[in-house]
Amino acid sequence: MRHGHLIILWLLTDMILFIGLFVLAYFLRVGFIFSTDFPFDRFLTTTLLITPLWLSALISTRTFALMRRQTSIRNGLHIAFCAVIGTALFALTYYFLHGAFFSRLLLVQALLLTWGIIWMWHMLFSHVLHYVLRKTNTFPVLVVGVTRESMRLIDLLQKKKSPLKPVAILDGRGVKERDIHGVPVKGKLNKLEDVLQEDHITHLIQCSDLEQTINLLSACRNKGITYMNLPSLLGIVERDERVDRLEGQPVTIVSPKDKWWKWPFQ
Amino acid sequence: MQYLILAGGFATRLWPLTEKRAKPLLPLAGKPVITHIVEKLPQDANIHVLTNAAYTESFRQWRLFLPKRDITIHTEHTRSDDEKLGALGAVAQWITAKTILEDLVLLTGDNYYGFAMKDFLQQYEQGVPLLAAYDIGNTEAAKQFGTVLLKADQKTIAAFEEKPTEPKTTLISTGCSIVPKAYLSELTAFAAEKPDNIGGLFTHFVEKDIPIHCFRFTEPWFDIGSFSAYLNATKMLVGDTTKIADTALVSDAECEHTVVVGERTRVRQSACDNVVIFDNCTIESCVLRDCVIDNNCTLRGIDLTGKMLREGTELIAPS
Repeated sequence: MRHGHLIILWLLTDMILFIGLFVLAYFLRVGFIFSTDFPFDRFLTTTLLITPLWLSALISTRTFALMRRQTSIRNGLHIAFCAVIGTALFALTYYFLHGAFFSRLLLVQALLLTWGIIWMWHMLFSHVLHYVLRKTNTFPVLVVGVTRESMRLIDLLQKKKSPLKPVAILDGRGVKERDIHGVPVKGKLNKLEDVLQEDHITHLIQCSDLEQTINLLSACRNKGITYMNLPSLLGIVERDERVDRLEGQPVTIVSPKDKWWKWPFQ
Repeated sequence: MQYLILAGGFATRLWPLTEKRAKPLLPLAGKPVITHIVEKLPQDANIHVLTNAAYTESFRQWRLFLPKRDITIHTEHTRSDDEKLGALGAVAQWITAKTILEDLVLLTGDNYYGFAMKDFLQQYEQGVPLLAAYDIGNTEAAKQFGTVLLKADQKTIAAFEEKPTEPKTTLISTGCSIVPKAYLSELTAFAAEKPDNIGGLFTHFVEKDIPIHCFRFTEPWFDIGSFSAYLNATKMLVGDTTKIADTALVSDAECEHTVVVGERTRVRQSACDNVVIFDNCTIESCVLRDCVIDNNCTLRGIDLTGKMLREGTELIAPS
């Protein structure tokens, strides 16, 4: 199954789940009956109306991105943020269409459900997505450079069963090793074109040979390959860097260590 | 006498300039390195170029530019570095396959030799191997190379030292030599043991008490093995000047030290300092220093220092 199909399936299941969780919140609050005092059809219509808006908000957080780690706190907060937006939109829409809403507790329940369950579902689906993409070798990766950092990266991608699957390694200076964690070292950079073509590379991760960055980028651009590099390429090995924007210009930042509470303002 | 130019290497250290061309075909001061070699050889010389399957066609195309020379291209059937026979192994295979029964001049195709070939050939005594040794001038520089120690007669080689920490001489061995026909069988036997050790052949001769003569020279010599060596060779040959091809267009540009501009290349509103730009490139509003730019590159509004750019690179900074 292709990545695009899986993403569509993920979006559809998210929509169904969001609607389902709102319905569940209704029944949990009202009881498992269709109450005439608290009309279900109005509730459902409002939910259906706000679902695409909630999904748009979720998409904008890049939670569906290939490299997003679903278990991260940041991702959980993004989903929570969207749950708040979804609940707020529901309350607002219901108010405009039908007047005051009948239960504040229902809103709280819907908020918690659409945060917790959607987050769990994302973790589960991303696991399935990674498994399928890895099995079908959808994103073969070329690693450039044999360094301790690149060895760690390959190990990490394998352990985490990342959809980005290293299939070949090249090194500018040549190394004795024939493979790194089972990934073949195919030679020096003079084999770049052959490897890109033969292994159908979709992603290239540069871990050394800084002087060749322009040439690797050029090869990636020509062939429609995604280029990435490790911060260690620039000598940043303490994992305290972040990528940000300076007046709209992307920059890699390493700030001096400071009080934790200053972090959001650096 | 037969002349064999070794051009079978895959030149991995000069990537990406050698991504699509063999190292001897790299342009050096306006023409390929190998053309510099051929032009020094006698007009009636039987020249053989030994290359690999990946580069054979390029050498065939190159030969068309030298129609008056007797050049034969031979292919060792390897397509990658892993399959290589080794330089000496390839020579031995060629000697056996072609049943060579004449004295053999061996030349490595990625070397630039500044001396006159007739002087080298004049020093050859029938039946005595001859090796060209460059006097690099100071012992510090000699540490990076294999040095040649001479006997008291200052003509016969006594020993070789590979990258000595305390060089006893400033003479370094180069890739130009003559192996007399009497020693071709010795060459093939040695190649069977050490197919990739072409330099070791002469050490082997010394060990077997085979006298070797040394041809000393002080004219420029370059082993084009790395980016810096290539740029240095260009600087030495071109000098502090700008060499612009007839079909190139350079306008409103500041050129300092050595600048070489290839065919149909356009350089506009840029500053270049020690830069070699190959053919069909467009350079606009750039600052380039110590760079080699391969064919068909387009650069606009960028600053680069110490870079080799692969063919077809496009770097266009947003205005």
